[in-house]
Amino acid sequence: MNFLSFLGENLETFLTYTGFANMTVGHGVMLLVGVVFIYLAIAKEFEPMLLIPIGFGILIGNIPFKDAGLQLGIYEEGSVLNILYQGVTQGWYPPLIFLGIGAMTDFSALISNPKLMLIGAAAQFGIFGAYTLALLWGFEPNQAGAIGIIGGADGPTAIFLSSKLAPSLMGAVAISAYSYMALVPVIQPPLMRWLTTKKERVIRMKPPRVVSHTEKVIFPIVGLLLTCFLVPSGLPLLGMLFFGNLLKESGVTRRLAETARGPLIDTITILLGITVGASTQATQFLTINSLKIFGLGALSFVIATMAGVLFVKFFNLFLKKDNKINPLIGNAGVSAVPDSARISQVVGLEYDSTNYLLMHAMGPNVAGVIGSAVAAGILLGFLG
Amino acid sequence: MKQKIIFGLLLFVCTLSGVWAQRTTFLKINEVLVINKDNFQDDYGNKFPWIEIYNASPGTVDIAGCFITNDINNPRRYPIPKGDVLTKIKPRQHVLFWADNMPTRGTFHVNFTLDPDQSNYIALFDSDGHTLIDSVTVPAGQRPDISYGLLEDGWSQKRLEEKLRLNSTYKEKNGSELWVYFEQVTPSSNNKILDTNERIEKFKKNDERGVGMTITAMAVVFIGLILLFLFFKLIGNIAVSLSHERAMKASGISKEEAKGIIQTSGDIYAAIAMAIYEATELHDEENTILTIKNTARSYSPWNSKIYTLRETPIKK
Repeated sequence: MNFLSFLGENLETFLTYTGFANMTVGHGVMLLVGVVFIYLAIAKEFEPMLLIPIGFGILIGNIPFKDAGLQLGIYEEGSVLNILYQGVTQGWYPPLIFLGIGAMTDFSALISNPKLMLIGAAAQFGIFGAYTLALLWGFEPNQAGAIGIIGGADGPTAIFLSSKLAPSLMGAVAISAYSYMALVPVIQPPLMRWLTTKKERVIRMKPPRVVSHTEKVIFPIVGLLLTCFLVPSGLPLLGMLFFGNLLKESGVTRRLAETARGPLIDTITILLGITVGASTQATQFLTINSLKIFGLGALSFVIATMAGVLFVKFFNLFLKKDNKINPLIGNAGVSAVPDSARISQVVGLEYDSTNYLLMHAMGPNVAGVIGSAVAAGILLGFLG
Repeated sequence: MKQKIIFGLLLFVCTLSGVWAQRTTFLKINEVLVINKDNFQDDYGNKFPWIEIYNASPGTVDIAGCFITNDINNPRRYPIPKGDVLTKIKPRQHVLFWADNMPTRGTFHVNFTLDPDQSNYIALFDSDGHTLIDSVTVPAGQRPDISYGLLEDGWSQKRLEEKLRLNSTYKEKNGSELWVYFEQVTPSSNNKILDTNERIEKFKKNDERGVGMTITAMAVVFIGLILLFLFFKLIGNIAVSLSHERAMKASGISKEEAKGIIQTSGDIYAAIAMAIYEATELHDEENTILTIKNTARSYSPWNSKIYTLRETPIKK
């Protein structure tokens, strides 16, 4: 063998390792999806903190390569991506995210007007509506549970539950949940307008009263005890959520609270986003089931929004005239903090430019987080 | 001093809870084969009676230092040797002890055998030598190669009764005895081999459309949040009435006037504060900006001029 043919063979071998040689249509499609996510995050500012890591993760996960045992892919045991992915598969990223959420959430709106909690409960119909539809579409009950949780509009909860109930669907469930959370400004307003009258949209709610420090400290402790005694399987999420909130509200653990809502949640968000994105390798992800999950995810958001708005209308039948709730905050019960509350504010201002609903919408919004974590605990308890 | 005592107590409680998490009380005698005629062999190729121990806890438990005995009057009969990594039983896993009366053959060979003609008492004692962890009396009249074991791994009578109460078809399929005979012995593996997820199968059969799940789960979600609502409604009322009292005491005003003060929301106070700031100049520092945003001064060695090697020279 002369030197030139040796070089030629080497070059030929090298070419078989390149992405170009291993490219498939599926990889192309997924790369396009990744680019669209990044575009939506930068150009439209749809949930950029999530869509940038996930979108870029999709690009990382869909660079085609030859399976030569080089420990490159996220599904290859021992690879760097696989090690980072353990936080998702073992389910410890979501509770850490919840710790940060707890440390940054002000539950004052909910404490000052606790009846708003019930809106957060009503919006969980989205989860079980999607569960029923998934069963009709031929999914197993555990898979249907993992798909239904998309309706909880809470990414960490969706990842946590799907990693336990149906790990094979986790990529599709996570991408679907985050995509629709980003699309909340597109999905919710038409439904809110359709289900409410002009008169209802301009209802002015009483301003929330000032909540004392003691009440704020009691909330995470009692919240944990009441919800977790009822649904112990929600403990990883609810425990961390309320713990984070106590760090914030106690007033004596400022440094810990700042770490939880700052560097910690940012680090975990980066790792979670990039690994969830990278887990969508075309070979694993592009299936008919993924398409079905996307369809069901959209329906679950629609059902959750409708349930929230209709519940407020129903609830108003029993409330005194000066205590009525503006049904435009019903959509906020689906979680998706704080985007769905912001939608209530924006739509409310369209009809009365001096009616600020944001503070009121934050009540059902954070109640939705608690409600979806409780619902996830129930599904895990029944189907896990 | 007082703080040190409290800290010490907390440390003690934490240590105790850590020890409890590792406790051997979760160990269960799970399956026993008294007459091993043509069945499972040990590492030496011999067939002897065996005793299976199961770790029913969600954490690893080290069985080293515990005692296995077949004599109620001699709880310390076979001390399980320390220093063998294999004595650490992983969560929901098993270890097998050979009752061959040949302890020199290794950690898992005990110094007694089981009597094929009589009933056999087998017990597991904790490392103190007198705390009983679990015991069983294998009845006389055992048949060859048929083991005697718990219906399902690590189950107790209470767990079985709960299962029978909650699942009407369970008794029909599995019987109602805690200890049963296994024609297919399962050394070092689960007593009940599951080929399906029972819970999921149950849902598939009884709740095809998911209506039952929806009703149950939504009821639980509502109950949870209604409980929270009721509690904080109550707490809110108490907080408001306490605030009234405080306002009445501090300002000497009537209850009605106090109500007016308390019902004022936080944003009104913020607006008043802002208006005072804008309208008057009764403040000490002229440069202060009143804002609801947190002030942030980000610092990192990477952007600090003190730490950079290429500091801009200062002309003198």
